[in-house]
Amino acid sequence: MSPNLRIWVAVKHGVDVGLTRADPATGVVALEGAPRKTSDFDRNAVEEAVRVRERSGGTVTAVSVGPPSAREALREALALGADEAVLFTDPAVPRFDTRAVARALAATCRTLGGFDLLLLGEGSTDHFGGVVGARVASELGVADLAYVRKLTVEPEGVVAERDLEREVEVLSARFPVVVTVGQEINTPRVPTFMSNLKASKKTIRQVGPAEVNLPASSLAPVQTTLRVAVPQVARKQVPLTGNSPDELARELLSRLRDEGVWP
Amino acid sequence: MNTGPVLCYSEEPELAEELLRWTHHQKLSEGAPVAAAVLGALPADLPQRYAAAGAQEVYRLAAEAPAFPEAGVLAEALAIVVREAKPRLVLLASTKRGKQVVGRLAGLLDWPVATGVNELRRDGEAWVLEREALSGNAVSVEQFPGGAAIFALTTGQGPPAAASYPLQIREVTGAFPPSRVERREQRPKGGGGVHLETAERIVTVGRGLKKREDIPMVEALARALNASVGCTRPLAAEAGWFSDDHWIGLTGHRVKPKLYVALGVSGAVQHLVGMRGSRIVVAVNQDPNAPILGQADYRITADLYSLVPALLRALGVPG
Ligand SMILES: Cc1cc2nc3c(=O)[nH]c(=O)nc-3n(C[C@H](O)[C@H](O)[C@H](O)COP(=O)(O)OP(=O)(O)OC[C@H]3O[C@@H](n4cnc5c(N)ncnc54)[C@H](O)[C@@H]3O)c2cc1C
Repeated sequence: MSPNLRIWVAVKHGVDVGLTRADPATGVVALEGAPRKTSDFDRNAVEEAVRVRERSGGTVTAVSVGPPSAREALREALALGADEAVLFTDPAVPRFDTRAVARALAATCRTLGGFDLLLLGEGSTDHFGGVVGARVASELGVADLAYVRKLTVEPEGVVAERDLEREVEVLSARFPVVVTVGQEINTPRVPTFMSNLKASKKTIRQVGPAEVNLPASSLAPVQTTLRVAVPQVARKQVPLTGNSPDELARELLSRLRDEGVWP
Repeated sequence: MNTGPVLCYSEEPELAEELLRWTHHQKLSEGAPVAAAVLGALPADLPQRYAAAGAQEVYRLAAEAPAFPEAGVLAEALAIVVREAKPRLVLLASTKRGKQVVGRLAGLLDWPVATGVNELRRDGEAWVLEREALSGNAVSVEQFPGGAAIFALTTGQGPPAAASYPLQIREVTGAFPPSRVERREQRPKGGGGVHLETAERIVTVGRGLKKREDIPMVEALARALNASVGCTRPLAAEAGWFSDDHWIGLTGHRVKPKLYVALGVSGAVQHLVGMRGSRIVVAVNQDPNAPILGQADYRITADLYSLVPALLRALGVPG
């Protein structure tokens, strides 16, 4: 077993979906300045990275691509057990779209010492595109194992059980390898007072395109979000009541008959 | 302007057929041919099937596929076909495997990509698409440059049949790259073969159901209503009371029945996204503040343990 496994884990500081507010009239959600937090599956990825290190040794480096506020996600990754943290940021880039994120992640991992295992969430809570992991692997020319629910590290690589819509596959690949995970792989630990304190004392390294040999032009956004809105589904909102459960049950069945949805 | 075809690819023929029909339905080809990509072996019935779904061309990579063509291999093979066909658009299915191929293909071609696409149209020179965002809570409208792009479509939308065309088969020479991934095992997921996407009526239970022994009561109600049984994530992923094919929501199945009955379901956004397309929603929850009640046509503030037995009596099910 390689005692110096280089484990990287990518974290996104995404929109906190539970705290967004939609305009009651138009349904439009204001994302500018919306509260943010570490994307759900990324916490599972950090947990898995730390567990791999606990079993097999090595170092865990957390990396995030985003504005300076993404440091918060890195701080949390440190509190969850990551050894080091790197923020890739570039004031010249107005927004990091999936292409920019994938390229910046690939260049950062490649340039700052390389990696054996790179873990990511299989999708982000806010965007849920599910392509960044595969794209990073493609940019780096390495294998990616996606939708992993169980991960075992062997001397030369990993074995992963992954969950598809209708089947489960057990796959193996040699290092270096990219692995994406979902919520089912583990239950992330909760940072403690002590781990938060320790994390707050660590420095987060900051890099930009020049430090990782990336042409600045390769980060320009290609897509534009025109609007994000909560679909307005008009429901009838009819409360049903009755003097007894039996009366209520008969009332419901008669409504379903009137609606033509039953029998 | 690129005059190349719209190129549809899925390793699952039913999904490729859906992509072909959808291309016609959304009028995406703008006069250019609608094509399907086939990587490796071409089963004898496939050209006929694809032609019936509206394909005018099949581009086939005439090479032998490795035993386990993982996503990276499929993407590289598809890139060979793309370089030959020079399509204006590549469409894939937004399944788990499909999204993985899309991610890898995007890295190879550096074309714009989007997954989970529900709608796609031209707007002047640009592509405008709709996809889910914020864990399914919202719809995001996004604009892409009008040139070549890779889009993965949410399947199961059931586009109407397309006209049939004479089919041209074009062989593309090239080879599959070696696989970086080995498959040690493959097994179907346990499940009763439930297919909630096409169910007309669904009775869904959430954590309001106290114990596994109460499932037969819910199944009896579903049978009497001629409905399928659905569940929330905790009952499948955590409790393991139901197989994944019953799981509805962001990370489960998307359903659009005529009737959706939610019993003891709180109505988290990640669940609502899976059932938003339902025609009539009935919610039964004992907490008057449960969000699901605000998303229902008929809202019943009650204990499911008194209402379900009453429903069974009213339906004449012997208790
Ligand atoms: C990234 C991510 C993805 C997710 N994907 C999904 C998904 O695909 N699908 C999904 O469902 N969830 C998903 N979730 C989980 C989701 O956030 C909720 O936790 C889950 O939907 C809650 O399930 P529930 O309604 O069964 O349980 P609870 O939220 O615990 O609700 C139980 C409800 O039952 C009611 N109740 C209790 N007893 C009774 C009774 N006797 N009679 C009537 N009512 C009663 C309670 O009032 C309560 O409202 C996801 C979460 C995350 C973070």
